Amino acid sequence: MTLVLVFSGLLFAIGTYGVLTRRNAITLLISVEILMNAANLNFVAFSRLWEPELMTGQVFALVGISIAACEAAVGLALILAIFRRFGTTDVGRIDFLRG
Amino acid sequence: MLDSDVQIALFAAFGGIAVIAALAAVLTRYLLRSIVAFGAFLTAIAGQFYILAADFVALIQIFVYVGGVVVLILFALMLSAVGQKHPLAVSEHRGLGAVVAYAVGGWLVWAAFGQDLPKAGQVPGETVAFLGRAFLDQQLVAFEVIGIILLAAVVAALVIVRGERL
Amino acid sequence: MEVNWPDWLNFDWLDLGWLELPWVDTNWFHDNWYGLLLLGFFWGVVVFTMVGALTAVYVYVERKVSARIQGRLGPMETGPHGLLQTLVDVVKLAVKEDVRPAAADALAFRLAPLLVVVPAVMAFVVVPFGVPMVIRDLNVGILYFLAVPSVTGVGLLLAGWASYDNYSFLGGLRASAQFISYEIPRTLAVVTVVMLSGSLSSAGLIGAQADTTWFVLLLPLSFVIYAVTTLAEVNRVPFDIPEAESELVAGFHTEYSGFRWSLFFLGEYASLTTASAFAVALFFGGGLGPVLPPVVWFVLKTAVIVFFAVVLRFTLPRFRQDQLMALAWKYFLPLSLVNLLLAGLVMKAVF
Repeated sequence: MTLVLVFSGLLFAIGTYGVLTRRNAITLLISVEILMNAANLNFVAFSRLWEPELMTGQVFALVGISIAACEAAVGLALILAIFRRFGTTDVGRIDFLRG
Repeated sequence: MLDSDVQIALFAAFGGIAVIAALAAVLTRYLLRSIVAFGAFLTAIAGQFYILAADFVALIQIFVYVGGVVVLILFALMLSAVGQKHPLAVSEHRGLGAVVAYAVGGWLVWAAFGQDLPKAGQVPGETVAFLGRAFLDQQLVAFEVIGIILLAAVVAALVIVRGERL
Repeated sequence: MEVNWPDWLNFDWLDLGWLELPWVDTNWFHDNWYGLLLLGFFWGVVVFTMVGALTAVYVYVERKVSARIQGRLGPMETGPHGLLQTLVDVVKLAVKEDVRPAAADALAFRLAPLLVVVPAVMAFVVVPFGVPMVIRDLNVGILYFLAVPSVTGVGLLLAGWASYDNYSFLGGLRASAQFISYEIPRTLAVVTVVMLSGSLSSAGLIGAQADTTWFVLLLPLSFVIYAVTTLAEVNRVPFDIPEAESELVAGFHTEYSGFRWSLFFLGEYASLTTASAFAVALFFGGGLGPVLPPVVWFVLKTAVIVFFAVVLRFTLPRFRQDQLMALAWKYFLPLSLVNLLLAGLVMKAVF
């Protein structure tokens, strides 16, 4: 069990680094997805640990996966809309609010 | 019958792949490689799910993430960066990011070792039946809410992509 | 980590113990990790060989049938009635020069064919050949069959992008868009079968059909949806727009040659073979049938389905891209949802 927690901690740290340092919107999205996967890993592991037949953790992981899919769909739609307007997907260069 | 050492070794192997792939996805300056590494990362996580006795979740992970989200991301890449071959710019805050990530990771790993966890119980052989019961019984609200959120997200994505004039 | 693993996480099934061969000491495999690795490798080779052989047969049948439809003879020179032609072609493809465009992204260019072939071959693992006989009877077998080949979409898109060529790029985009669009109605069609059989394992599926009847009789609409969407997913005529020679040269594999090209070819035929075999399991009772042994029944039924796919290829014209997407989203998606609802209502009323 400790092993699982160590791995998910490492992955969470990697995702955090990605979110903090990357400038491209698509890579940011990937980093966020890494964070969500690290969390899902913990959910599944704890579902395995406590009352496995209730499956609460696995249900949570499935909900998480669905949310991640929604997030990707909306996020990528936003990225496309931003690219059409600004001609870039670098979040640092999207700097005016006027439409 | 195997003792669980082999499964622990397999879990660690998948974990190693996941960590390396995640690092590659975050560190590489080529967007396409980042996405490929992300796909490898997701597959490794699916392997870990399988070893944690969550076969259904593992396959859904592959179905939705690798078959769906990665394809979507590739689509977005292709529609937004046609012909782009030069590496991406990196942020000037890399040092700060590394410090924060190191702190978060160190804290999480330290917390992992500090816990006195109980031993795992017996997993039911037929996970799908239990999952179905859980989804349509205790977690019914979550199930319904997910449906609404998915619908809203799809409509929102369509509206955003179509632009202001519908 | 002290845990009790459920049965299906053990590797007992690998050791051929169920074949009861007298000269095989099954314990040896479990005592060593390399024995286990050896077994896994062995099964990988077995599955890959099976798929390869089936593909060769398939290609031969397709050539002969197409020749008959067009009033030709087809391959005749190599071997009796050209039986060895496919084998010779394989050798030819394997020794051909492997050209990679200078501007291509090397990593993605090499990865893409593998991402197309490997899932198609992996899906073969859960196909039930006989009444109890499956290489691996996962208890989420049907989901596995749907999930693993979905990785192919990534491979198609990568191939198109990595080639750094406009025709490949367009072909890849089209192939992938088509793939993920048709995946949804296809999954929904399979869901009705799962509802009826009450099991996600491929052995359970055959068992349920042994208890009732062939599911194609109970769910004809599901079968139609499955058949059409499967043809669309594996880019077969009339849905082969990603590879339309007249407009896109050869689509996403324009820049590929030699062995890598043949991997795409193998992937396409392997996924069609696997999908046909699984259609037999889903709708035509798998290996169920009188007199003959189950495996023979299974092969016969699969052969009939494959024959129909070949005949379709040479008798129908091609769709247009926008018609194709409209067909998926405006007709097949609502149709499969209605089908799901109807199946649920009828089941509620009957059972």
